[in-house]
Amino acid sequence: MKKNSLTIILSCVAVFCFCFLSNSFAAKKKIVIGHPACLSGKYAKAGEQAVGGIKACIDWVNTNYGGVTLDGKKVPLEYKYYDCESKKESVTSLLGRLITVDKVNVVFAPYSSGLTLRGAPVSESNRMLYMDHGGANNKIFTQGFRYVVQTIGPATAYHEGTLNMIHMTDPEAKRVALAYEDSEFAKMVMEGAETHAKKLGFEIVFKRTYPKGVTDLTPLLSALKASKPDFILGGGHFEDGQLFNRQMADLDINSNALSLIAAATLPAFYEALTSMAEGVMGPSHWEYGVKYSKSEAKKVGMEWIGPGQDEFVALFKKAVGKDTIPDYHAAEAGAQVLAYVLAVEKANSFDTDTVRKALGDLTFMSFYGGWDIDDSGLQVGHSMVDVQWQDGKRIIVWPREARTGKLVYPIPTFAEKAKGKIATP
Amino acid sequence: MFFEQITGNLIQGLVLGSVYGMATMGLSLIFGVLKIVNVGHGAFIMVGAFITLWLFNTLGLSPILAIPAAFAVGMLLGLLFYYTTMRRLIKAPELASLLATFSIGILLEEVIKLIFGSEFRGYNWAVGKLNLGVTVLPMSKLYACIGSAIIALLLYIWFNKTRAGTAMRSVVEDSEGARVCGVNVDGTYAMSFAIGIGLTVVSGVLLTMFIPVGINPYMGGGYTLKAFVIAVLGGLASPYGAFFGGLVFGLIENGSYMLFALIPGVEPFALTRFLSFVILLIILLIRPTGLLSTK
Repeated sequence: MKKNSLTIILSCVAVFCFCFLSNSFAAKKKIVIGHPACLSGKYAKAGEQAVGGIKACIDWVNTNYGGVTLDGKKVPLEYKYYDCESKKESVTSLLGRLITVDKVNVVFAPYSSGLTLRGAPVSESNRMLYMDHGGANNKIFTQGFRYVVQTIGPATAYHEGTLNMIHMTDPEAKRVALAYEDSEFAKMVMEGAETHAKKLGFEIVFKRTYPKGVTDLTPLLSALKASKPDFILGGGHFEDGQLFNRQMADLDINSNALSLIAAATLPAFYEALTSMAEGVMGPSHWEYGVKYSKSEAKKVGMEWIGPGQDEFVALFKKAVGKDTIPDYHAAEAGAQVLAYVLAVEKANSFDTDTVRKALGDLTFMSFYGGWDIDDSGLQVGHSMVDVQWQDGKRIIVWPREARTGKLVYPIPTFAEKAKGKIATP
Repeated sequence: MFFEQITGNLIQGLVLGSVYGMATMGLSLIFGVLKIVNVGHGAFIMVGAFITLWLFNTLGLSPILAIPAAFAVGMLLGLLFYYTTMRRLIKAPELASLLATFSIGILLEEVIKLIFGSEFRGYNWAVGKLNLGVTVLPMSKLYACIGSAIIALLLYIWFNKTRAGTAMRSVVEDSEGARVCGVNVDGTYAMSFAIGIGLTVVSGVLLTMFIPVGINPYMGGGYTLKAFVIAVLGGLASPYGAFFGGLVFGLIENGSYMLFALIPGVEPFALTRFLSFVILLIILLIRPTGLLSTK
């Protein structure tokens, strides 16, 4: 009886050791990226783009780059993702599953500041690196999290470029209206815009928020109209941005410029609004046409990694199976893969603390632009561009050194647009 | 200036309220006859929105022509879901029908997502604007408002002046008694569910005439929530009560904004929602059958 028990115990120990060792060996054969992705729900559009961008860059790393160099060997990347349905409660449970069951090496945050913030404590408590590609809210980086690293730029900077551009284009413009969604991210953008506007000498004549999921902005826009602004900054996410522009047209609210975050840079914005979107601007982290390249990186003394712009677009199309140009949600998520790869190579390890330290020391350029973080993990090396819809095309109008066309200012009125006038410089 | 703005907001609220009312009539009808709370209500509104979008963008048909198409699709969906699911659940515990309608809602969202994708879409039906001085009203909104009023009136006539309507009312009063009198109760249930869903899908058309952007598979959630508030406001089992409840809700939502904006340091938009639900709670406390209910 005793002999049998001993045999059973020894067998269990042997099985456990085998599993443990085989897992350890297996972990070195691949690096697994875990991701609670927003493939359905309110962020499905941005989530699909992000997944496409990640797949495109993983494809580039595994195929063109040969894998991640670790201990002199090339290790491929693997991508494990689940649909979090754009829901906070799903994010926390899926992160737990990815970390404890799937044993991934790094987790990518879901899209949006709210969801990123919700998942951060889970990754922190598991000492897991949490790469943020879609959460721009600065507050994420004031909570004392050690493992959150941002690729998307901070929310406070979203409208700074737009304000600089209008300040330089029209010194007479003084009255600015701010109307943003009542979300963590958008309120932070508003805070940044207000501070910067005051610094430039603008007068804030209207400042209001509207609730998430709003279906009618008429009361707010009627009040905004009465404040007679020279230009309007606002938005939050895609759906309310569309509504904002549409109901401004309905109420005949005209201004010299209109810039909406998150929405105005997406092709679906123009598809839904057609001529009403002419002249509308939006800040973007990346646009097809930006001039980041290996030679550009060399010029500014930065390390370069990743596919070129057109190569990324081709890989993205292959990843999503559609002939579509990726937007900035895809680019920032893809660039995050490249940042992680470089950090693992520099650390020569995928241990969380070692890679986190390497990320802190990392500065590089990719098709997405510059990449550098501060001590809290906040992105400080990436510059945004401003795009404007001109004759149905997205034109980069700011900063001057990156622009692909001139700014149209003031933009045509909605009555002029209804008669077919387009925004051309 | 203040007077102008509040008058403008109230006009906009009245127009929007008529569409909200229309969007709640189906919910009230189904609850009134079958005693089923359709938690998937918003998904049927979304189906109507996609029918309009598809007809407009692919066939170039006016959203007005989408109304009969949406009603027909809604009736067919109603009959399909009634005979496959809801029929078995009429006598079942309430939780069963709640879960069933919730599941139907999710099913519809995912099917539409599979067909159209998850993008937020919109269409541009330019039919001019009406400048009222205090506010500007796009004609599409006005058509939506008139359409809602006509449909509410037709439902009222149908309910009160036709044999089928009378049969339906008799089933609402006493289904066993109606059966003894020769009323086809099962057929009446099926017809009520089909008409309720038909009306809901039509309201999706009218809502897109009011707000022709943000059309996506998950757009219905917010409308479901509002529909419950309006249904309670108008009398949970009264379809035309729901229409007037919608008008009141629209007026509260738009009118209160200006009043809350007078309070320094508050975000008026957040408070309009708060107020709507405070009103809901008060009504539930003092008149649980609804403000406009005759019971």
